[in-house]
Amino acid sequence: MAEILHVGIDLGTSRSAISASNGERFVVDSFVGWPADMVAKKILKRNVLIGHEAVANRTMLELHRPLERGLLKEGSDKDVEAVRELLRHLLGLVGVKKNGKVDSGNVRAVVGVPAAALRTNKQYLRNSMKGIVDSLMIVSEPFAVAYGLNALLHTMIIDIGAGTTDFCVMKGRYPTEEDQRTLTVAGDSIDAHLLKLIEERYPQANVTMFMVREWKEKFSFVGQPPQRAMVTAPVKGVPTELDITNEIKAACETILPPVVETMLDLLSRVEPEFQERVRNNIILSGGGGLIKNLPRALEDALKQVGGGKVTYMEDPVFVGSDGGLALALDAPDSDWERLSA
Amino acid sequence: MRAGPNDRVRRQLMRDAVSDNLETIRGLPPRSVRPVPRAGGVWTRRLPLLLIPVTLLGASYLVSEPPILRTVRQPTAAVLHTAMIDSTEPVKAAAFPLAVRRVILDAGHGGKDAGALSSSNLSEKEITLDIERRLQALLKQQGFEVVATRNDDRMIPLRERARLANSSEGDIFVSIHVNSLRTHINSHGIETYYLGPTKDPLLTQLAAEENGTSGYSIADLRKLLDRVYADVRRDESHRLASAVQQQLFANLQTIDPGLENWGIKRAPFIVLVATDMPAVLAEVGCLSNEREAVMLKNPQYRQQIAQALFRGISEYAKKGT
Repeated sequence: MAEILHVGIDLGTSRSAISASNGERFVVDSFVGWPADMVAKKILKRNVLIGHEAVANRTMLELHRPLERGLLKEGSDKDVEAVRELLRHLLGLVGVKKNGKVDSGNVRAVVGVPAAALRTNKQYLRNSMKGIVDSLMIVSEPFAVAYGLNALLHTMIIDIGAGTTDFCVMKGRYPTEEDQRTLTVAGDSIDAHLLKLIEERYPQANVTMFMVREWKEKFSFVGQPPQRAMVTAPVKGVPTELDITNEIKAACETILPPVVETMLDLLSRVEPEFQERVRNNIILSGGGGLIKNLPRALEDALKQVGGGKVTYMEDPVFVGSDGGLALALDAPDSDWERLSA
Repeated sequence: MRAGPNDRVRRQLMRDAVSDNLETIRGLPPRSVRPVPRAGGVWTRRLPLLLIPVTLLGASYLVSEPPILRTVRQPTAAVLHTAMIDSTEPVKAAAFPLAVRRVILDAGHGGKDAGALSSSNLSEKEITLDIERRLQALLKQQGFEVVATRNDDRMIPLRERARLANSSEGDIFVSIHVNSLRTHINSHGIETYYLGPTKDPLLTQLAAEENGTSGYSIADLRKLLDRVYADVRRDESHRLASAVQQQLFANLQTIDPGLENWGIKRAPFIVLVATDMPAVLAEVGCLSNEREAVMLKNPQYRQQIAQALFRGISEYAKKGT
């Protein structure tokens, strides 16, 4: 029998994760870069660089971040090619050859996209994955998370990524538009706020978005600061230590009002007899789940509607791709045959 | 062993997920936003397909001798059953080679409204009309029906253009415009709009300028906008905009390597908001760039633009079937 590799992919604006049925799991930065000129190509000795390598060598590259708000950018061939390179790279990491095959077998992939992705966005993604995988299923990212955690009934998933924050209430049925919401306040909007606040406080400091992203990932919190956030950045060319604790707090807390409002709005739409169960089964996933004190802040907000419990995933990076893999493994062969890419 | 309730839920969710993907593959809009009132129209369009087996079998029934009747009747039920099942499937391209039959073409501006002007006084209204005529000829050659909102140099209010498009029952609406940038006059690129809100103040200003002769009040506009967002038309307009932009850029870049791809964007232009069918507005060039203004004066370049627009429309029509 031909060997079949099942994979779950969380194609993220900032990071993309893959979980495969052979036990391999990888996460890469969603950046793809091509050498900017012949000199760069000679130095790098590569035609294309992906992930952390691309970010590290960005000065020599034409750098692309092919996803925007969790979706493929449209109208640009280079971004389509970038996302194909990213997918090939992810699949290569788990042992898929460049022709999309595992030895003589097949590759079946489940890819998570933002809850609010339109049919056209999914068609576009499907077209972009032609020739890379044999069969493809596209599902909403929070649904993949819920499926992977077996949290299918009376649960709310809040998946805070870089480009979007996705909400999904699981009612034991495939989520419809009314069960899901997508906000564009997420990791990227925190980065943008943080950069602005640091530039306002330290106008002489030379700070880039890449530095800001790294600092946020290290120090992000809401509420009481767990530690001082001290970072080093060049000020007039001299490496200088800066205290950005207040800026980190202010930037991270910008997502609280819209996230709380959406969470409470979705809760109010749940049938009254099930509301308490959903309130006590809220799961926080995605990179945003790593913001310290965030579950407690959401629980504080839930007190106004009778209280609730917010659980934070200890392994938020792979929770989406693991859910996709669970779906891929559960789908019968007959369905996969109908979903050929 | 009996499956537990959780297993049953998982199986049901799996079936739903697969079914949702199959609908994406077939190009169907999501269930919740499918236009219910048009369902009757869909059935009316598919009725001829159902009638074919019925008519053929009916004919067999009539010409057959009585002893054969029984053998004819049995397959009748089977074939009809198959026809009913097939009728829930999307219509195959082979059955309707032109799902997009009637194209509404809208040459921007006209009459006293010249639109953008180049430094040598070349006007947007004259370029858009010429490209529209060329595109009209190409579409007609391929069997499309074309309705033009204007065929000569006259000023037609935007409201009237939308009314004409709706009353003509067009399948798609393509508005042709030429950009002009007050700053960045060295830039030149192409972009395609489809309906939707925008937060970009420059696009709001552009929409305000293009909407200047709409004839709608602010209250009317609000009502029009309110009905837009849940509309399946946005999905289709987005698809049409992608196809048009991709073909425009791919074809014109070969002639002008410096051309910039400004992509597809959302903006609330009146002609996009007030029309009932998938609608896009293509800014096919940039008159504020002197080099491009010279190119836009050239009839051969305008023909290339018309051909690129034609390819975009054909591409959309092909995928829609």
